[in-house]
Amino acid sequence: MRRRLLGGVLSGALIMTAVGCGIPDRTEVQIEQRGPAAETNWSLGRGLDPPTREASRSDADAFVRNFLAAAAGEPDRAYERVKRFITSADRARLQEKQGSEVALSVVRLTDDPVIKADVDSMKVTISVQQVGLLRANGMLVPPLATESTYEFRLVSAGPVGQDDGGYFVSDPPNVLLLSDEALRLYYQAESIYFWSSDRSRLVSDQRYLSSAVPAERRVSEVVRWLTAGPSEWLRVGVSGLPDRTEMINNATGADGRWEVNLDMPGVDEERLRQLGIQLAWSLPELVHTLEIKILNQPRRTIDLSEQRTAYPLYELDDGALRFCVYEGAIHPLALANESAGAVPVVAEVNRNVVSAGLRRVGKDKDILAALVVAGENGRQRLAVGRGQNGVEVLSTAESDHAKIGRPVWLRGSDGRSYGLVVADGKLYRFDDQAVMRPVQLGLTDPVSAVAAALDGHRIALIVGGALHVAAISWEGGLPAVGPARRLATSLVNPTAVDWSGENRLVVAGSAGRPAIYDVSVDGALETRLREDVGTDVTHLAAYPSTPNPSTPLAGSFMYEANGVAYRNPSEQIRREQVQDVTPPPAGVRAGSPTAPFFLY
Amino acid sequence: MTTSPIPDLDTTSRRRGAGWELWRGLSGRVTRLLAGLHQTWRRSLQVRVVTITLVASSLLVGGFAYLIADKITNILLDNAKTDVQLRLIGGADYAAKQFSLYSQAQEAQLQETIDGTVNYLAGGYPQQTSGVVVAITAENEDAIEPRTSPAVDVRSLISPELQAAVAGGHVANQIRTGRLTADGETTKYLVYGSPVPTRFGQVELYYFVPLTLQDQTAGQARATVVGTGAALVLLLGLLAALVTRLVVTPVRVAARTAQRLSAGLLDQRMAVNGEDDLALLAASFNQMATNLQRQILRLEEMSRLQRRFTSDVSHELRTPLTTVRMAADLIFAERDEFDPAVARSAELLQAELDRFEELLTDLLEISRFDAGFAVLDAEPTDLVPVVHRVVDRLSGLAERVGVAIELDLPAAPVIAEIDPRRVERVLRNLVGNAVEHGEGRPVRITLGMDETAVALTVRDHGVGLKPGEEKLVFNRFWRADPSRARQTGGTGLGLSISLEDARLHGGWLEAWGAPGQGAQFRLTVPARAGDRLTTSPLRLVPADATLPFGGAPASSGLLAIGPGPGGALAVGPAPTPERRAEVGS
Repeated sequence: MRRRLLGGVLSGALIMTAVGCGIPDRTEVQIEQRGPAAETNWSLGRGLDPPTREASRSDADAFVRNFLAAAAGEPDRAYERVKRFITSADRARLQEKQGSEVALSVVRLTDDPVIKADVDSMKVTISVQQVGLLRANGMLVPPLATESTYEFRLVSAGPVGQDDGGYFVSDPPNVLLLSDEALRLYYQAESIYFWSSDRSRLVSDQRYLSSAVPAERRVSEVVRWLTAGPSEWLRVGVSGLPDRTEMINNATGADGRWEVNLDMPGVDEERLRQLGIQLAWSLPELVHTLEIKILNQPRRTIDLSEQRTAYPLYELDDGALRFCVYEGAIHPLALANESAGAVPVVAEVNRNVVSAGLRRVGKDKDILAALVVAGENGRQRLAVGRGQNGVEVLSTAESDHAKIGRPVWLRGSDGRSYGLVVADGKLYRFDDQAVMRPVQLGLTDPVSAVAAALDGHRIALIVGGALHVAAISWEGGLPAVGPARRLATSLVNPTAVDWSGENRLVVAGSAGRPAIYDVSVDGALETRLREDVGTDVTHLAAYPSTPNPSTPLAGSFMYEANGVAYRNPSEQIRREQVQDVTPPPAGVRAGSPTAPFFLY
Repeated sequence: MTTSPIPDLDTTSRRRGAGWELWRGLSGRVTRLLAGLHQTWRRSLQVRVVTITLVASSLLVGGFAYLIADKITNILLDNAKTDVQLRLIGGADYAAKQFSLYSQAQEAQLQETIDGTVNYLAGGYPQQTSGVVVAITAENEDAIEPRTSPAVDVRSLISPELQAAVAGGHVANQIRTGRLTADGETTKYLVYGSPVPTRFGQVELYYFVPLTLQDQTAGQARATVVGTGAALVLLLGLLAALVTRLVVTPVRVAARTAQRLSAGLLDQRMAVNGEDDLALLAASFNQMATNLQRQILRLEEMSRLQRRFTSDVSHELRTPLTTVRMAADLIFAERDEFDPAVARSAELLQAELDRFEELLTDLLEISRFDAGFAVLDAEPTDLVPVVHRVVDRLSGLAERVGVAIELDLPAAPVIAEIDPRRVERVLRNLVGNAVEHGEGRPVRITLGMDETAVALTVRDHGVGLKPGEEKLVFNRFWRADPSRARQTGGTGLGLSISLEDARLHGGWLEAWGAPGQGAQFRLTVPARAGDRLTTSPLRLVPADATLPFGGAPASSGLLAIGPGPGGALAVGPAPTPERRAEVGS
C-alpha cells in the first residue's frame, strides 16, 4: 500500500515536471498599463477644400465653375468628389482610375461657359485650352487631350420649379476637368530642387500641392516628389535621387524636428550631404532639424536653416544694376532712389551697341559682356569681352547677321563661360571668345527669343510663335539644349521672354492686343502684368526673384516697346534717368533709352 | 432451419462467463504479483533501501527539476515579453507619429500609411519572415480596414477579452495557440496589443510573436533537467543498492554462517576483510563462534565423558555382577536349606539383582543411544503378531494384578518397515506401564494404519496424568510420585528408551492423560522407513475421555480452566485444541 502511494506520488511529480512547467497554450489577458493617450495640441490646421455641389445653389454659372474645381484635392478621392456633382445615373460613365493613374486635365477657359436652357435641362458648352495633365504626384505634364470644347448638361437637383436644390451634371465628359483658376485656388505651386547633372548646383522644379493636404503631410509629399525624380523636360539637365530610392512610410515630426526614413541604395556621405541641401531648400518653411534615416539607421541630422545659409542657391550678393543702351552706348540707369553703377565697358568699345547681356562672374566679380554691335553695313555682330572694372577688349564674332537678339549668359558651372543668342531665327551658343556655334534644337521653326534661368540649366525659348522651356545639359563642358516643352499660355505670338523667378517667366505677347504676362514655368498659372502695351514688346529683361534673401530689385523687369523703354509695370524710362550722358545739343531731338537690362 | 434465441443467450452468458474468467485470472495474477512483491519487500533489505532511496530522491529531484524548468520557462517568457513590449511601445510610438498626419479616418493615403506602417514594423519587407506578425486594427473606425504583415488572418488569435482590453486603452498581452497560415503549424503566439491614439480616434496595434524558439528551448531545458534528474535518481538508486549490498552481503554471510553454525558446522567462520565495522562484526562473530565452539566442544566432551563413564561403569559393573549373580543364584537355589530369615534375604538378594541387572541393561541401552550407536534394523513386519507376542508375555503380570488386556486389531495384517525388536520393546514397555498403573481396570491396545503410517495406542484407566506430565513422563528416572517406593520392577528408563526407539524410526511417541481418566500412549511410525510423518491414523485423545462438568470431550479436546470475571472460575475450550506431547524425529 505504501509502495503504491509512493509510486503514485513519484509518477505524479515526474508528470508535473514533464508537463506542468512548459509555456502554456493559452493564458489570461494580462493588462499592463494604460496605453499612450492622444495628444491634444494639434496645432496644424487643415487646408482649403473645393466647394461642394450645393454651394452654388441656383447659380448655374457658379455651378459650372465649381464643377471645374471639384476634382481639386487629394487625387485618390477626386473621382468621388466629382461624382457628387454628377447625376447618379451617369456616375458610372466616368471611368475611374486608381492610384497614380489619376490625373486631372487642367484646362483654361478661353471663354465664359455657354449655358443654354433646353427642355428639362441646360446644355453647357465650355471652350478650353488644354494646359496640362496634373498627375497624382503633383506634376503638371504636357496635355494629352486635344479637345477645345466640352459639353455636358445640367439637371436640376430639386423638384421642378425649385432651383434652390442646385444642379447635377448629366452626360459628363469622361475626364476629370480642373480649371486653371481652381488650380490656382486649391493648389500651391511648390519649388523642389534637384541637383544638376554635374552636381554643381540645385535646379528648381515645380509641383502642385493640394490645399487639402494638411500641413503635417507636406514634408512627406515633398520627399515623395524628390524620390519620384524630376519633371520629364528637366531630365537631361538634372539628376534625381539614386534609382529605387523610396521613402519608408511618412516623414514624421513636430516642434521643428522632423524625421525622414529612406530606402536609398548606394548612398554615401556625399550623397547624404547633397540630399541634406536638397531637402533644406525644398522645405523652405522648416527651420529646425531634419534627421535622415537610411533603412531606419539615423545617418545625418541637418539644421535646415543653417544649410540654407551655408549653401545659397545663387550667388547674387551685390544686387542688380540697371543699364540701357542710349545712342549706341551702354549707360547706367538711375531710377528713383536706386543707386546707379559705373559703365562696365570702357568708352573705346562702348560704341554701336544694339543690345547687351552682362553678368558678373567668379570670385573677383569680373564682368562678362556680350554686346550686339551694329556694323557699317547695317549687319550686326556679337562682341564678347571680360574685365575687372570695365571691359576693355572685345572679341568679335566672325560672322555677321541681319538681326541678333539680346545675348544671354548661361550661369552654369564655373569654367568657361557660355551664352546663348538668337541670330536670324537660329539659336547659337557663344563663348568668351565670341565663337558662335549653332545649337541643335529639336524644332525647325525659327527661334525668336531666348532667356536663361539663374541656375544656368533651364532656358525659355520662343520658337515658332510659341513659348517653350528646355533644360541645358553640360556634357563635356559645353551646353546642349534638351527637348523643349511647349507651354500653353493664353498669350499668342510671344515676342520676348525672361525669367522673373525660379519658376516664373515674364512673357510679352498678344492677348488680343500686346500684353505682358507672368507665366509659370509650366504655363498653367498666368498673371497679367500689363495689357495695354500698345505695340509689340521687342526687348524684355528681368531680374529674377529668388528664395535667397531678396534684393530690392528682385522680380523687376524692364522692356522696350516701340523704341521706348519701360520698367515694370508701365513706367517709362526717361532720358533723364540715363546717366553719364552729355545732354544733346539744343534742338536736336534727344534719343530715347532702349534695350534696358540688368547686370547681376 | 430454425434458430432459437437460446444460442444467443448462451453466447452472451458464455461471453460473460469468459469475461468473468478473464477477470478472475487477471485479478488472481495481480494478487499473486502483489503478494510476491510484498514478500520481496518484507524479505529484502536491499529492495527496501533502494526503493525508499528511489522514491525520496525522485521526489526531491522532481521538485527541483520542476522548480528549475519552471524558472527557465518563466525567464524565457519574461525575456520574450520584455522584448515584445519594447518593440510594441516603439511601434505604437512610430504608428502614432505616422497617423498623426491624418485627422480623418477617411483621409486619402491613411490606409496606405497603415499598410506601410505595418510592413515597416514587421521588419520592412513582407517576405522577410521572422515569424513576427504585426497587425493594426481599428475597432471603432469602420472606414479603416485592418491590416497585417505578413498578410495572414490573425482574428483567431485576438481573443475578445484582449480586444476589449486594448480597445479600452490598455497595453495587454496574452499567449494564444493557433495557426496563421493554412499550411502552417499550430504555434504558440505571444499576442501583445497596444492602443495607438490618433486624431481621428484610436487604432490598435498588435504584435504576434511566435514562441517556437522559447518553447523549444524550454522543452530542451525540461528534457535536460528531467534527463539529469532521472540519471541522478538512477545513480542514487544504484548507489543505495551498492551501499546496501556492501552492508547486506556480510550480514547475509554472517546469517549463513550462523545457520551453518547452528546446523552443527562449528568450524564455519566469516572472512575478515579490512578493518572497518563490518570486519569488526565478522571478527566478533568469528570470536563468538570460536567461543561457542570451544564451549560446545567442552560440553560435548563432558557429555561424552559422562556417557562413557556410564557405559564404562555399566560394563565394569557387569563382570562383578555376573559373579555376584552366580553366587546369588547358588545361594537362592540353596535357600530352602537356610533358616527362613536368611532364605528371605536370599530371595531379596535375587530380586534386587534382577532389578539391578535390568537397570544395567537399560543404562547400557540408553548409553548406546546417547553415543549414537543405535542402528535401526528395519524390515517389513506384520505388527499384529508383535502385539500378540507382547500380550502373551505380559499376560502373567496382568493376571496377577487383575487387569484385562483388550485388543482392537485389524483383521488384515498390518505391515510396516520397522525394527520388530525395538517396536516390541516399546510396546512391552507401554503395555507393562498400563498394566502396572491400570488399577485393575482393563487396558486396551489399538492398532491402526493408513497409507503412510502405522499407529498403536495403549489405553489405561488408572490415575491418569496431571496436566504437564505428558512430557515429563518421557524424562529419565521420572516418577509421578517420588515418594512412592519402587515396588514394581520399572527402572525409570523405559519410556526414555521407547522414545529413543520411536525417534530412531522417525516416528512419534506421545502421551495423553487426565486425572481420574487414565492415560493413553500412542506410537506412530511411518509405513516405510525414512518417510516423514504428517498425521497419525489414530487419535491421541481417546474417544471416551470426558471433560469436567460433562462437556463433549471428543470433538474439541480439553478445556482450559482459568480465572473468569468476578473471581469465578471460567471453563471453556482451551486455546490449543489438543494438548499433546509431540515428539518429532
